[in-house]
Parts: sequence; structure tokens; C-alpha cells
Amino acid sequence: MSLTSLMFIIFVLTAVIGYYCIPKRYQWLWLLFFSYIYYLSTGARTVYYLLITTASTYLVGYFMSRIQKDKDDRAARRVNRRLLVLALLLNFGMLAYLKYTNFLIANLNDLLHAQLNFKDLLLPLGISFYTFQSMGYLLDVYWKKCEAETTPLRLALFVSFFPQILQGPIGRFSRLGKQLFTSHTVDWEQMERSFLLILYGFFKKMILADTVAPIVDHIFGNPTQFSGVFMIIGVLGYSAQLYGDFSGGMDVVQGISGLFGITLDDNFKRPFFAISITDFWHRWHITLGTWMKDYVFYPISLSKWMSRFSKYLKTHLSKKLGRTIPICIANILVFLIVGVWHGAAWKYIIYGLYNGVIIGISGLLTNCYRDWKKALHIQDKSHGWHIFQILRTFLLVNISWFFDRADTVKDALFMMKNTILNFHISVLWDGSLLMDNTILHIQYRYIIVIAACLVVFIISLLQEKKITFAQSIYTWKPAVRFVLYLVILFVIPLLGQTPMAEGGFIYAQF
Amino acid sequence: MEKLLEILEDIQPEADYENCTTLIDDGILDSFAILSIVSELEDAFGVSITPAEIIPENFNSAQALWNMVERLQA
Repeated sequence: MSLTSLMFIIFVLTAVIGYYCIPKRYQWLWLLFFSYIYYLSTGARTVYYLLITTASTYLVGYFMSRIQKDKDDRAARRVNRRLLVLALLLNFGMLAYLKYTNFLIANLNDLLHAQLNFKDLLLPLGISFYTFQSMGYLLDVYWKKCEAETTPLRLALFVSFFPQILQGPIGRFSRLGKQLFTSHTVDWEQMERSFLLILYGFFKKMILADTVAPIVDHIFGNPTQFSGVFMIIGVLGYSAQLYGDFSGGMDVVQGISGLFGITLDDNFKRPFFAISITDFWHRWHITLGTWMKDYVFYPISLSKWMSRFSKYLKTHLSKKLGRTIPICIANILVFLIVGVWHGAAWKYIIYGLYNGVIIGISGLLTNCYRDWKKALHIQDKSHGWHIFQILRTFLLVNISWFFDRADTVKDALFMMKNTILNFHISVLWDGSLLMDNTILHIQYRYIIVIAACLVVFIISLLQEKKITFAQSIYTWKPAVRFVLYLVILFVIPLLGQTPMAEGGFIYAQF
Repeated sequence: MEKLLEILEDIQPEADYENCTTLIDDGILDSFAILSIVSELEDAFGVSITPAEIIPENFNSAQALWNMVERLQA
């Protein structure tokens, strides 16, 4: 049941109407029921993995909390650490087995010229998201950042809440749990705001992402057939596709949650206005970034062995390097995990390392940058410098997309080389852009994509400047708003791609 | 407290530590700066800071940082 299908819309309507009609104390159970119906509709065979994660998370969380109350601090910490490691091994082990076994087999076959058979493994939808969310909860209980949930079915809802289970955002128990379990009454203002957000999400997904997708697929699928200009069109198109797909999906997910009165954490904050790669990761897939920061980056950086390494560097090199080098290493490790999280392929590992190394080097050179800017009389707050930083970051991000989208690392490198050495600007006017009409309605696709990018850019720019255009819509007369929504509802299916013709969401495969 | 302010100035000079109470909320201190501060605090005050302590409430102002140091020293 795709998020853009009619069936899903009917499903959501039924869930929302029922949610506000039943007695309030059963609302969370209603959500749980619909969450499992939704998950089962995506494929019943993998629900066992969701149940194992839920049961192990509940039990370990519950016992850790009991032990914290019954035993003295040091003894409790020792026992709880064992319980936590057990749960982490079980859940991340399950994720690793299902996601990376065939990648390992392929590499062993290549390296050792062996002929190991691939496993027939079905990757449960949303496993990366619900595993991270559940393990984040356990770490929070371990660190006493939140209380353990005592009702198993409530925890089951936290793990499986249906709008977010397939592609996030990765929620925190302290914020999401409370909202899931409290009762809600109809808030028409929030309903309307959520409805508009859903429409905007469908716009980004169906008009932008799904329209540009065939062009991107064609270029990245046949890199040797195209010159440098096409490589640029391909990678810029991929930027638009990925942003439209993922952030559009997030808008739909947040909008649907809003219909139940539940506010999910933001996953996007206008990432293409970022002024550095670090800033980009503060604006792109925010909940994965904060998850990695809280549960991987800080624990690695503050671990005993890293502390020893830091002290060694402080004694043998310098105080500053002893402080910064361990942070850079932890950072590169985090982005290596981010890369691996995206998929079982070397290209994702390179993609992660590329980001990690850039951020690590920027961290090491912070003081040098400060000195250079002073020497060159660059004002941090000048518009020119700000725009230069945005363009520089956009370029660096687009380079990373080559690794993310190309089929292999070899293809990515070939395409980058082609971009520079085989540019052929004449293809812009000699008719080559039509690609021999191998893609249906390609001229219209170009026009629609450019227009949609402009719409998204203008809305993002207004949001960036804190001009909330959407707020003024709510002051219009209800009849005018109704007509506006009808027009948007009519335009999206007319200009956009039908879900039957195009694929699902990119991040739902992670 | 003076020593703490010196450390903060050294790591991130472009902030008003006397008055700002939103060092984390407003993104003035990023994760790189936070860990640099942690490393310096551990050396200067002999405290051990765990991941559980890295929450906005402990890093949003110089005073909050000082309170954390005092609590960990006790």
C-alpha cells in the first residue's frame, strides 16, 4: 500500500474518522491496530522481525528500569550494560544479517574466487528505521534519559506507528511516546495545516520526483552513452528527485500524523540552503543525523580508549591536535556507518566516507579558516560570502550524489570524469536533450520539473527568510481556501505521475 | 567560572557567554565544539563526562556548564 495510492488515502481517512469517534482512552489502541494492518499490508512474511524487535525492546527496557530501582548504582549499571549489549547485538545483528549477508557473500566470492550461494533474504520494510528508533529508546532508558514503558502494547505502538515506520522520521520516546498515548480531540486548524502539508508532499513526490525520475534513471543507467552536460543534468535531476521524494514523503508522513494531533520531529530544513557539509547534515535527514550524534558520535568520542588516545596525542603532538583528531576519527566512523546504513554496496561506503572526511578536515582546519577569512577581509555576514558558501556546499553535495546514485563506484568515477573531460555544450541546442524520445513526454517533463523546482525554491526561500506564506492562507475566506485546495488536488494527479506508473519511495527501501 | 569562560572563548570565540542561554538551541555550539569543550573540562577540572550528560540543558549556557562541572566534582 503505497503512500500515494488511493487505497492508502481511504485507509488514512478511515483511521482518522474512527480515531475521533471512539472513546478517547482507546485512541492509542486504535492507532496500534491500524499500524499493524498497514505493516501487514506491505507483506505479512516479515512481521516476525518487527515482533522480535518490539518484544526484545520492551523486555530489556522493562528489566533495565526495574534493576535501576532495585540495585545500587554500580551493580545496576553492570547488569544493565549486559542487557543492553544483548539487545543491541540481537537487533543490529538481525538488521546486519538481513541487509548485508549477500553483500558479504558477493565480496567473498570476488576476493577468494569462491562460489558461495546467495541467501534468499527478504528485507522487512522499514527495518532500518524501526530498529534505530527502538535501540535509541533502549539507550535512553540505559542513560536514564527517559522512563521505560511498562505497557507492552504501548511500546509496540511506538515501534510501529504507521505513518513513520517505512521511512522515518526516527522518533524519540520522550517526545513521540507522550503524544501517542495521550488522547486528542479534533483540532480543525491543525487538520487544515496537516492537509496542506500532505498536498505539498504529494506535489514534491508526484510532480517533481516522479517526473524527473525516468530522466535520471536513463542517464545513470547508461553512463557511457552520454556526454558531460547530461551528467550534470542527471546529477541535478537526482538532487531534485531525492529531495522531492524523501522530503515529500516526510511531508505526507508528518501531515498524516498531524491529522491525529501528533507532531513528528522535522527531518528536513531546506538542505540546499546549507553553508557547509556539516550544516547540510543538520538540515538533511535530521533525525538520522541526531541519532548518529547522540548514540554513536558522542559515545565513541567519550569512550575510554578514545580518551586514552586523546591524552597520548596531547602529550606527543599538541593539545589542540589531541583534542581534535579523536573527534575527526569519530566523525569519519559515524559517516562510514551512515554510508553502510544507506545500503550494502561499496558506493554507499564511499559516499559516507566522502562526507565524513570533508567534515573531519573542516573541523581540523577551523582555526585556519578563521585566519584566512581575516586575512582576506571576508565578512562572515556578507551576502556574497553567504551565497558563495551555499553554492560551494551544493557542488560538494552533488559530487556525493554521483556515488549515491550511480550503480557502482566505477560508474560514479567515470561520470565525474566525463563531466569535466567530455562536456559537449552543443547538446543543449542540437536536439540531443530529447534523448531520441526514449522517455515518454520528455519535453513536458523538463518543463514540469523546472517549474516545480521553482515553486519549491520560492517556498523554501520564503521559509528560510521566515516569511510564512502558508500562515496567510489560513486568513483567507474558507470558500477561497476550499477552491484553492480543490485546484491543488486536481493539478497534482493531472501533472504528476501516477503511482502505478512510477516506483515507491526511495528511502522506504532502506 | 573564569577558567571555564577562558576555555569557551578559546574554542568558540564568536559567542556571548556572559548572557547567552541558547548556545545549543541556536546552534552556536556544534557537536565538534561540544566535544572540544568536554575534552578541556575533563583536563581542567578532573571530571568525567559521559554521553548521558550531553544534553542541551547542560550546554546551553556557561552557567549550566559550570553547574554540571560542580555536580560532577561533588
